[in-house]
Amino acid sequence: MDIILLALLDGIAYAALLFLVAVGLTLIFGVLGILNIAHGSLYAIGAYVTATIGTWLVANGYNPWLTFPALIVSAILVGVILGGLIERLLLSRIYTKEPILQLLITFAVFMILENLQRMIWGVQPYFLDTPLTLLGNVSLAGVNYTLYQVAFLPLAAIAVLVFLRYFLRHTTMGAQILAVTEDREAASSIGINATWVYFVTFVIGASFAALGGALATPTTSLVTGMGANMIVLSFAVAATAGLGQIEGAAVSALMIGIARSFAVYLAPEIEVVMPYLIMVLVLLVRPNGLFGKETVRKI
Amino acid sequence: MSTDKGTLLLQAEGLKLRFGGIIAADGINLSLYKGEHLAIIGPNGAGKTTFLNICTGYLKPDAGKVTLNGREITGRPPRSITRMGVARAFQIPQLFTGHTVLENMLLAASVRERHWGLLRNLMRIPERAEMEHLLDMVGCADVRDRLASELPEGKRKLVDIAVALALKPEVLLMDEPTSGVATADKFGVMETLMKALREAGVSSVFVEHDMEMVGLYATRVAVWAQGIIQMTGEPKTVLNDPDVIRNVIGSGEHA
Repeated sequence: MDIILLALLDGIAYAALLFLVAVGLTLIFGVLGILNIAHGSLYAIGAYVTATIGTWLVANGYNPWLTFPALIVSAILVGVILGGLIERLLLSRIYTKEPILQLLITFAVFMILENLQRMIWGVQPYFLDTPLTLLGNVSLAGVNYTLYQVAFLPLAAIAVLVFLRYFLRHTTMGAQILAVTEDREAASSIGINATWVYFVTFVIGASFAALGGALATPTTSLVTGMGANMIVLSFAVAATAGLGQIEGAAVSALMIGIARSFAVYLAPEIEVVMPYLIMVLVLLVRPNGLFGKETVRKI
Repeated sequence: MSTDKGTLLLQAEGLKLRFGGIIAADGINLSLYKGEHLAIIGPNGAGKTTFLNICTGYLKPDAGKVTLNGREITGRPPRSITRMGVARAFQIPQLFTGHTVLENMLLAASVRERHWGLLRNLMRIPERAEMEHLLDMVGCADVRDRLASELPEGKRKLVDIAVALALKPEVLLMDEPTSGVATADKFGVMETLMKALREAGVSSVFVEHDMEMVGLYATRVAVWAQGIIQMTGEPKTVLNDPDVIRNVIGSGEHA
C-alpha cells in the first residue's frame, strides 16, 4: 500500500517536471513548426545555472529562502539570453527551410551546448537541496514525503498551465501568436510583426524548459547527459499528446510520469522503456497523438 | 501634393512585373486621389490582383515604384505598409477562424496601438468601444461574439472590411469585394461596405468584374489590359466606350 502511494507521489512530482519541459517543446513546435532538440540543453543549463546561483547565495550567507526566487530568475535568464540567442542567430534563418535541416541544426546546437556545459560545470554531479529542506516533509497516510515534491512542483506545473491558457486565449500577445500560427501572411497584413512573435514564443518555450531544469535541481543531482535524457522523454510526452497540444501535454505527462514511477517500484527492469511503450501504444491507435487532429496544426 | 483632382494619395509609376513569359505589368501608371473609389476592370489574368499585391508589399515589381502621400512603399515588408496606411481585403476573407468577430477586431486594434503586454487582456483594451462602433457601421453587431469560422459569406466579407478599417487606413485595397456572396445579397453588402468607407473617410481601390457594381460605386474606373492602363475616367464614360465594351465588358468574363 505504501509503495503504491509512494509511486503515485513520485510519479506526480516527476510528471510536473516533464510537463514543464514538454509544454515548452510543444508550444515552440505548434507555433514555429520546429522540433527543437536543443530544448533538452535548455533544461540542463537551467538546472546548472540554478545550482550555481543557489549555491552562491547559500555560501555567501544570504537568506536561504532566496533560493526560491532564484529558481525562477535562473529560468528566465537562461530562456531569454540563451533561448533568445538561439532564435535570433540560428532559427530565424531557417524557418522556411525543410524540417530535416531544422532538425539537424537544433541537434547541432544541442551537441554544442552539451559540450559547453561540460566545459563550464565539469562532469562531477551538482546538488542544491536547500529549497527541498526548507519546505520540509509532510506525512500522508503514513508515508513521509517532501512538501516540495508533493505540493510545490505540481502547483508550479498547474500555474504554468493556467498561465499559458490565459496568455494564449485572452491576451493581446497571445492573440497575435495564435494569428501568426493560423496564417502568417494574413497576420502580417493586419500589421503583426511575425518575426517578433516567433522570437517571443521561442523565448517563452525555452524559459519553460529552463524552469523545468531549475525546479528539478533540488530533487536530483545534476549530471552530464541529463539534457539528452529529458529531450527524449519530453518528446515522448509531446508526441503522445499530439504535437502542439498544451492541455494534452499535461495529461500525457501525468500518464508517463506515473507509469514510469510505478515501473521503478514494481518492475525496475522496464523502467527505462516504460515512457516509450506508452508512446508506441498510443501512436499505434492514434497516429496523431491522444489529442492531435489530422493535418490541423493548432496550439 | 495637391492638384485640381484633390490630394494625391497613392501613386504607381512605371510598374513592371513579369512572371516567366507572362507580362502582368508593363509600365503601369495609376493615381488615387483622396476620397476616390477607383475600380480596376479588365480581362481575367490581366494582372489586377498582382497590382494589389505590389501595393501591399507581397510582390516586388521588376521596375517602377508605388508611393503613398509621396513616400515610397515598394520594397517595404507588408506589415510596415499596413502601418503606413494601406489596408487590404482579400477575395477570400482572412479572418482568424479560432477567434470571435470582436476578438478579430480587437486584435487588429491592439496591433495598431501596439498593445502587447504579456498579460494585457485583449477584451479590455480601450479601443473596444471604437471596434464595436465599427462593427455596427458594417451592420455586424449581431455576430459580435460568433466565431469567424461560423459566419455566412456576406457577413464574413463585411467583418473583413471592418477589420481592415480597424487599422485606420487611408486606402483600402479590395479584390472583388462581393465575390462569393449570394447574388441576392451582393448589392446590399456592397452598399453597406461603401457607406462604411465613406463614413470612415477611407479611399479605396477595388478590382471588380461586375460592371453594374462599377457603375454604381466607382468614382473613377481604370481599364487594365495587356499590362498597361488602357484608359481611366468616369464610370459612365469608360463603361460606354466602344473599345472597352468590345474588349472587356463584352468578353463575357465577368461573373
